[in-house]
Amino acid sequence: MTVQPVFTKSLQAMAPAEYRLHARSWLAANLPAHMRADSTDWRAPALEESVSWEARMYRAGLAGMTWPVEYGGHGLTLREHLIANKEIGAVMMPESAGSVGKELAGPIIMAVGTEDQKQAFLPRILTLEDMWCQGFSEPDAGSDLARLRTRAVPHDGGWRINGQKIWTSGASKADYCLLLTRTGTIEDRHKGMLMFAVPMSTPGIRVVPIKSIDGKVSFAEVFFDDVIVPDEARLGAPDEGWDAAIRVLSIERATNRMYRPWRFETELRALLRGLKSDPELAVLLDDGAVRDRIGQVLGQIDALKGFVEGSVEQLLDGAQIGARGSLSKLYWSECHQAFAGLALDLVGHVTPRSSGLAQRIRDHFTTAYLFARAETIYAGTTEVQLDIIAQRILKLPKDLQK
Amino acid sequence: MSSDDHGLLPAELAEAARPAIAEARGKPARDAARILAEAGLTGVCAQEDDGGMALGLSFALAIAEEAGAGQLRFPLLDQILLAQAFAGQDIAGRIAAGEALGVIGWEGARDGLLRLSDDCDCDVVLVPTGQGADLIERAGLTATPTPLLDPDAPQIWLDVGAARKIGSLSGEQMADLRRAGEALYGGFVTGAAANALALSSDYLAARVQFGRPLSSKQAVRHHLARMKLLLEMSRAALARSLARDELGNPRDTRPAFLGAVGNAIWTLEKAIHLHGGMGFTWEVPLHYSLRDIRKIETAFGAGRLARQVAQDFIRAA
Ligand SMILES: Cc1cc2nc3c(=O)[nH]c(=O)nc-3n(C[C@H](O)[C@H](O)[C@H](O)COP(=O)(O)OP(=O)(O)OC[C@H]3O[C@@H](n4cnc5c(N)ncnc54)[C@H](O)[C@@H]3O)c2cc1C
Repeated sequence: MTVQPVFTKSLQAMAPAEYRLHARSWLAANLPAHMRADSTDWRAPALEESVSWEARMYRAGLAGMTWPVEYGGHGLTLREHLIANKEIGAVMMPESAGSVGKELAGPIIMAVGTEDQKQAFLPRILTLEDMWCQGFSEPDAGSDLARLRTRAVPHDGGWRINGQKIWTSGASKADYCLLLTRTGTIEDRHKGMLMFAVPMSTPGIRVVPIKSIDGKVSFAEVFFDDVIVPDEARLGAPDEGWDAAIRVLSIERATNRMYRPWRFETELRALLRGLKSDPELAVLLDDGAVRDRIGQVLGQIDALKGFVEGSVEQLLDGAQIGARGSLSKLYWSECHQAFAGLALDLVGHVTPRSSGLAQRIRDHFTTAYLFARAETIYAGTTEVQLDIIAQRILKLPKDLQK
Repeated sequence: MSSDDHGLLPAELAEAARPAIAEARGKPARDAARILAEAGLTGVCAQEDDGGMALGLSFALAIAEEAGAGQLRFPLLDQILLAQAFAGQDIAGRIAAGEALGVIGWEGARDGLLRLSDDCDCDVVLVPTGQGADLIERAGLTATPTPLLDPDAPQIWLDVGAARKIGSLSGEQMADLRRAGEALYGGFVTGAAANALALSSDYLAARVQFGRPLSSKQAVRHHLARMKLLLEMSRAALARSLARDELGNPRDTRPAFLGAVGNAIWTLEKAIHLHGGMGFTWEVPLHYSLRDIRKIETAFGAGRLARQVAQDFIRAA
């Protein structure tokens, strides 16, 4: 798989300022108005539209920045990753349809996959030829993931898998499932966990969609009944897959969706522009209490920006990132949720006679408010992050010390 | 960062400053000034010709955090800021040397009255005006203390109606000084919060109830985890606020300052709560930091400042 450059100068030869300019001008020229949530031309993108948009972003050098060139990546550093993310955050584009592949499956395959697996999977993740879903959570294994029951037993040189996953985002559209199983019993806890790349077309897999708060059908139950996979589907040795997952996930938590604080600011600006576009609504912004809340949000955004930039500096210096990702996940999710509440309060004043932009903003933030309920739940709930900070960062004792 | 930092890191300087801050703590203002000047701290950002170290503000920020953590109740930050702002003038050298004391009345005078967090028997006072700031002599001015919030170091109202002006800053100079002041005071309150978190973690790891240390209880652990969260976010915001933006322009320091003050208040109030009855005593020193932070909040008019930040963003959106 070769990358088709859509620009004359190679990405690697660009100075940071040039790369920033490239990212900014490419997005400005190429993101269609109907994909901008702050445009009155907006409409919900079809899956094919999202996929083709993301594939174009990748070819333009705005995805897969840090992945090695031999696996389809651009071979750049976290510095360019951050630059691209700032520009991606500056526009109200849709969330990635291929995030599980890019943020989760890809880095894990890179860490524990065989050379054949890397060649087979990685480039197709970036081009969005393969979509992935994450099969970790189960009905009895949420925050306590170590209680998962889905079992893999050796079978004819391959594996036979039985069990059930739940809350699997994008399962209906996925080509592969990054599946976490165990080879032993629940009592083994983290021992004997085994990870697979399972084609979703394998016989015995059944996907039952679940409707979520925001009215969408974004996740599903996935049943595995005597699903047979070859040994080549295995990612890493037993235990190794899980250990790698934990390691990769802690780095990912700190580095993925770095655009968040910049997007957060863009959302705030879009909200204000929507309200300012209608004199009847603009007066809401004169209210001291509203300004207090906006002032607070601005402080939180600055903190998140500083935190993300600091994490990049640390990683570039070769420092261990540890549980730092828990701090940013926790802070972002709670601040963003509170902001969504403020936005909902404000767009509640929009009427059918309000400006078109104000109505667009109302629709956007009403959905955003509902979706924000998930932000403190997925990727480790608030309480789980607080536990991690207490345990791993503050190292607070639980027992009497001698 | 200064061109001449001798490869020194801000954190290393802060570490080196710790003993001097500890020694100055609790001393009369004039003695504290001499101790801190001897350690080079009052002149950390002052020019070398004024007897300073000519280091960048990131060094002062690290010292500010150290001063907050060490509960230094002396206006070290004002000395640092004034010794830098009046570069090349006699007063800068005297402040850097610990011979003169200055304080800053951040909000400026209203009806001739200026609010100060603590006047420390100072020599000069900086009074922001519409156009910049005036440096005035303290001697001979009438002070009315309001000691309820902080009896040991009362806030005062200074009548500056008949003050003698001995220097001034331009609008641009005052804007720079205000930005630096917001960042440094943000650092001070963040240091105070870091100290409160450390004291609380130690206390709750040692305090046994129900047969186990209280730090085994999830509610307690989560409070402490949130303190850590806010502490790191304050630090990140403050460090970033001092760095220039992508175009080389100075950043707005107000959001970081306001965030740091809000986070520090939450942390101090929770820290006192987590100490139980002990926390309500004069003995446990957390209350000093709470008083300091609340005085800083008032001195900068934090509530008004927050609404102004929002207004500016709304206008530009
Ligand atoms: C939108 C969305 C998308 C998702 N996508 C995926 C996906 O693609 N793949 C996947 O595998 N999973 C996915 N998840 C699942 C997600 O990871 C889990 O929901 C999450 O880990 C929490 O598990 P749970 O739902 O079982 O809640 P539980 O673990 O049962 O928690 C319920 C409540 O109890 C609290 N709680 C739990 N443990 C503790 C504790 N020790 N101390 C204090 N409080 C505690 C939690 O914080 C929570 O508030 C998704 C979830 C959402 C909302």
